Amino acid sequence: MQHIIEMVGVSKIYPGGCVALRDINVKIEKGEFVFLVGPTGAGKSTFLKLLFREELPTRGQIFINGKNITRLKPKEVPYLRRRLGVVFQDFRLLPQKTVYENVAFAMEVIEASPREIRRRVPKVIEMVGLSHKMNSRPHELSGGEQQRAALARALVNNPDVIIADEPTGNLDPDTSWEIMKLLDEINKKGTTLIVATHAKELVDAMKKRVLQLEDGRLVRDEERGVYRCET
Amino acid sequence: MDDWSETKREGFTAVKLRTIRYFFKEAFVNLFRNGWMSLASIGAVASALIIFGSFLMISINFDYIAKNVESQVEITAYVEDSVDKLKINQIELGIKSIDGVKEVVFVSKEQALEEFKKQVGEELLEGIENPLPNSFRVKVETPQEVAGVAERIQKIDGIEEVKYGKGVVEKLFKITYWMRLVGLAVMAIFAAISVFIISNTIRITVFSRRREISIMKYIGATDWFVRWPFLIEGMMLGFTGSLIAIALLAAGYSYLYDMVKLNVPMIPLLHLEEFYDYSLGLLLMGTFLGAFGSGFSMRRFLRV
Ligand SMILES: Nc1ncnc2c1ncn2[C@@H]1O[C@H](COP(=O)(O)OP(=O)(O)OP(=O)(O)O)[C@@H](O)[C@H]1O
Ligand SMILES: [Mg+2]
Repeated sequence: MQHIIEMVGVSKIYPGGCVALRDINVKIEKGEFVFLVGPTGAGKSTFLKLLFREELPTRGQIFINGKNITRLKPKEVPYLRRRLGVVFQDFRLLPQKTVYENVAFAMEVIEASPREIRRRVPKVIEMVGLSHKMNSRPHELSGGEQQRAALARALVNNPDVIIADEPTGNLDPDTSWEIMKLLDEINKKGTTLIVATHAKELVDAMKKRVLQLEDGRLVRDEERGVYRCET
Repeated sequence: MDDWSETKREGFTAVKLRTIRYFFKEAFVNLFRNGWMSLASIGAVASALIIFGSFLMISINFDYIAKNVESQVEITAYVEDSVDKLKINQIELGIKSIDGVKEVVFVSKEQALEEFKKQVGEELLEGIENPLPNSFRVKVETPQEVAGVAERIQKIDGIEEVKYGKGVVEKLFKITYWMRLVGLAVMAIFAAISVFIISNTIRITVFSRRREISIMKYIGATDWFVRWPFLIEGMMLGFTGSLIAIALLAAGYSYLYDMVKLNVPMIPLLHLEEFYDYSLGLLLMGTFLGAFGSGFSMRRFLRV
C-alpha cells in the first residue's frame, strides 16, 4: 500500500550548522494518528516544517501521496499546501479578521465559490465548537478558542493531512483534553493527523502511534505508545 | 486525486471574476491606508512625467520649426558672366535633370537688379553698371536633399557659386538632437526615481503585511494571488500620477502657446491637440512604472 507520508534518509542541517534531524526514515499510512514527542530542540517542529515545505531537507527524500515534495517547483508548492491543514503553534490568525473571516479566507485563497464558502465555513466552525464566537476577532478570544479557530481554518478545505505543532501548548489540562478529543474525532473521519506535543498525560491516554525524537534522531516508533519509556 | 493537476491554474488563465474584485478591493484599501506614501508616489510619477513631457514637447516643437524653416530653404545658383544665352538654357536643363529638384526659376541680371533696387532704393545704384549675375532659384522635393542637390548644381559647367541657408538648418537639427538626448537622460533618471519611491511605498505596505502574506502562502495561496493586489496598487499610483502630469502639461502648454502666438506670431508651434497620442503614451508609461515599482519590492516577501 502506498503511504500518505514517507521520509527516506532525511537530514536537516540549518545554515549555521545546527543539525536538527539525522537520517529519519518514517512511513505514515493514510488515516493514522501520529504523535511526535521529544524534548525541546529535538527537531519536532523541523519535522513538521519539512512536510509543508517551510523548510527543505538537506539530504533525503520526502513523499506525500507518492509524490516527491523535495522536487516540487515553487509554482507547485501552493497545491501541496492545499492538501495539508497546518495548525501553527502561534495560531497565525489574521488579527483584523473575525473567526468567520479567518476561516473563509482560507477558502478565498484557493478561489472557492462564495456559495461553497457560505455553506462550509459555519459548519466547520460549529464542528470545533466556536459558533458563538464566529464574529469575534482573535484578540477577543481565549487561547483555547484561538486554537479552535486555527483548527477550523486548517480543516475547512478538507485536507488529506492535518499537521499540528503543539496544539495544546499554552492550554490548561481540560482545554487540552477537549482539543485532543476534537483531533481524535477528525481522525476518525479519515483525516491523517500528525501532532507534535509535550503533553505527556495526553499521549499516554490516547494510545496512538508515537514517534520520539531526541537530538534529531528518531529513537522510538511505537504503536499505542506512551510519552517516554520509564527505565 | 493524487496528481497535482490543478497546478496548471497558476497565473492569469483561470482568474475568476470574484478574485479580481478581491484584488481591487485589497488594492484600494491599501492605497488609503498608506495615505502619505501614496501621495508621495503619485507626486514622484507626476514630476518624472512632467519633466519628461516638457522635454518631449519642446523637442517635438523644435523639430516642427526646423522642418518649417527647411521647407522654405531654396538654392540660389549664380551663373558665370561669360556664359551666353544658349548655355544658360543648357544649364537649366541640367539642373532640372537632377534628382529631387522640384522647381527651377531663372532670374536674369536685370530682374535681380530690379529686386535689389526695390530693397535698397533706386538712387543709390544710379549710373553704376549692373554688378549682379544671372541666377537660378531652385526648390527641392524634400529639405534633406538640399545639400546634395546644391553640390551637384555646383558641378555643372558655367555655375560660379551655389548658396543656400547652410548652417541655420544644421544648427536647428543639432539642437533638436541634443534636446532629445537630454530629455531621454532626464527621463531615465526620473523614471528610476519614481520606481524607487513607488517600490518603497509598496514595500512599506508589504512589510507591514508580511505576516499576512506568509500566512496566505502557508494556507496555499499562489504567488500571483498575493501579488496582484500590490501590482494593482502600484498601477493605480502610476496612473493617477500620470493623469496629474498630463493635466499640468496641457495647462502649461496652452498657456505658453497663447503667449508665443501673441508676442512672436511668426514662430510656428504645434497645437495642443497634436500631443493627444503622446499623452496616451505617458499614461501607459506611468502605469507601467507603478506596476514595475511594486513588483520589484514584492519579490523577497513571496519566498516562503
Ligand atoms: N531556522 C533555524 N535556523 C537555525 N537553527 C534552527 C532553526 N530552527 C530550528 N533550529 C534548531 O534546530 C533544532 C531543532 O529545532 P526544532 O524547532 O525542530 O525543535 P523542537 O523539537 O520543535 O523544539 P520545541 O519542543 O522547543 O518546539 C534546535 O536546536 C533549533 O535551535
Ligand atoms: Mg517546536
